[in-house]
Amino acid sequence: MAAARLRGVAGTVERELTVADHGDVTIAGAAYRVAPLGPGAWRVSSDHASASVYVVRHRNGFWVHVDGRVYVVEVARAGAAARRITSVREHALAAPMPATVLSVVANVGQAVSAGETVLILEAMKMELPVRAPRDGIVSAIHCREGELVQPGVTLVEIA
Amino acid sequence: VFSRLLVANRGEIAVRVIRACRELGIETVAVHSEADRHALHVRLADRAVPIGAGPAGESYLVIPRIIRAALDNGADAVHPGYGFLSENAAFARACAEAGLIFVGPPAAVIATMGSKIAARRLMQAHGIPVVPGDAPDDQSDNSLCRALEQVGYPALVKPSAGGGGIGMRIVRDAGEAAPALTGARREAAAAFGDPTLYIERLVERPRHVEIQVLADDYGAIVHLFERECSLQRRHQKVVEETPSPALTPALRARMGEAAVAAARAAEYRNAGTIEFLVDGTGDQARFYFLEMNTRLQVEHPVTEAVTGLDLVQAQLRVAAGEPLRWAQESLTQRGHAVECRVYAEDPAHDFLPQAGPLLLYREPRGPGVRVDSGFTEGGEVPVHYDPMLAKVIVHAETRAAAIARASAALRDFPILGVRTNVPYLLAVLAHPAFDRGDVDTRFLDRETPAIVAAMHDAPVPDAAFVAAAAAFLGDVQAGASGRRSGGGSTAPPDPDAADDTRRRQDPWDFAGPWIGA
Repeated sequence: MAAARLRGVAGTVERELTVADHGDVTIAGAAYRVAPLGPGAWRVSSDHASASVYVVRHRNGFWVHVDGRVYVVEVARAGAAARRITSVREHALAAPMPATVLSVVANVGQAVSAGETVLILEAMKMELPVRAPRDGIVSAIHCREGELVQPGVTLVEIA
Repeated sequence: VFSRLLVANRGEIAVRVIRACRELGIETVAVHSEADRHALHVRLADRAVPIGAGPAGESYLVIPRIIRAALDNGADAVHPGYGFLSENAAFARACAEAGLIFVGPPAAVIATMGSKIAARRLMQAHGIPVVPGDAPDDQSDNSLCRALEQVGYPALVKPSAGGGGIGMRIVRDAGEAAPALTGARREAAAAFGDPTLYIERLVERPRHVEIQVLADDYGAIVHLFERECSLQRRHQKVVEETPSPALTPALRARMGEAAVAAARAAEYRNAGTIEFLVDGTGDQARFYFLEMNTRLQVEHPVTEAVTGLDLVQAQLRVAAGEPLRWAQESLTQRGHAVECRVYAEDPAHDFLPQAGPLLLYREPRGPGVRVDSGFTEGGEVPVHYDPMLAKVIVHAETRAAAIARASAALRDFPILGVRTNVPYLLAVLAHPAFDRGDVDTRFLDRETPAIVAAMHDAPVPDAAFVAAAAAFLGDVQAGASGRRSGGGSTAPPDPDAADDTRRRQDPWDFAGPWIGA
């Protein structure tokens, strides 16, 4: 396989990667080697250090474990339409688990800022506030108070 | 001991009890809800009995079904674990009436200790220090306000039933009294069905230090030293350790004696824990009886690590009528142990509990590292129960070495598929105040916002992008050639998730959103 040019996005961080056919990877001039270690496990090495890294594909990205921390990284070939990589989660809020809608705090058309509570769910006998991931306008609400909602279903959209 | 024992619990504690039974040659009967039919405790037990639907109220809390499962399967004893029915006097009584040995104290002791006011009065009567306060029989607002004035401000209003901080109110002056009493009464009635309140003086920066006790049927009682449990987030313990960095040898000896006296006053049997509130430091620190937990504690393994005892086996032997094997003088603390509770919760979103698949789950190993868990890779975290995934317990020569070992073990514990609190635990272990041992029960509630903010600011390492890219290309290749080799991103399938597995293995899905883009 010829060298691949990829783009990775983890939250607000974006990186261009060049992957040669024998596991040499370059990010912004820094060189790494990557080798498979077994199911879900990789050895990533640079001149200075190496680490065991664990990866699974889950929902719309790769979940990656490095040294006690987990990152969700979305990967696409460089040049693929940028909009494809924008996570659905960026503008849609969904329930993380089956839950009951305790109260809908925000209204359609309302401006919300990052971290503001838009919805309160109840699950596992706990109140779970659902907060806006970023500043925006509530463009749609797809649930009612008292409704039982399933995970992954969009409850609120923020434009 | 016994020939067959039913474990009336799930998750890591059910696994823990089953393993202890296996070592003693006792057959085990697991009970499980529909949501747990593939759980580890079900696989490890000699027999497994379904007892109902996922919600605990329809399975693990239904006393007649558990008694029926025990009798139908010829069990002669029942271990309740912790939580669920473990401190339910009616369950202990139902076991006794069915001719089953309940591995725990007599029902009457559970009932007395379940009432905070009754326990407090009993301890006071036996000269064990309790937090200065008042528990008036007259529960009118007037009477409770008089009690507040007498105890002095700031004071704490507490419900007699239950725990977990529910219904507790801090009252800083007389003006706050009326709304605090109304709110506490309402919450206590809703949560425990008992609105009875009492008043304690507020200790501003208390430590939570508890003493493990063991008592047999013949009047022998020993204590197994302390566990420091001050690191709590919203009344939920997060990290526990022993020895406590706050206890001097003299204070430890006094608290141990008080704990044994408390167990004697309660006519206690089996393993139990006396919780104390510690005010101040050094030999002059004061300690007060808070409550007694009439069961095995989640954090029992740190005590096992430093004393060398197996607490579950000790529980089983005591329940079978054996005398204690240890005199107090023969018990010592060796080294230092730390337990970290790994929860499926998202620190970035207000510690929202997480349910979902454990696509990748690899427990750490190494000298002095023990992991107690009810999960394996490919399993599923159900929505119905406490989201604790595992307890990482480490033991080392010194406190510093134990903290370093705990950090290393947590960094080497990849869990993918659900968010966990591991990064939070690592930040707590690295906190300078924890390093100094300078914490109180409200420390984490004060510091958590800053800890979580610092976690957000951590950079994403290049290695994360490199491995994701390799997995991306590996999946594309595997999809194209119709096979998967080492290093791919797909974890072993969950037996319940046939659809999901098919989807993950579909090469069209690997190409996924980029097709035709």
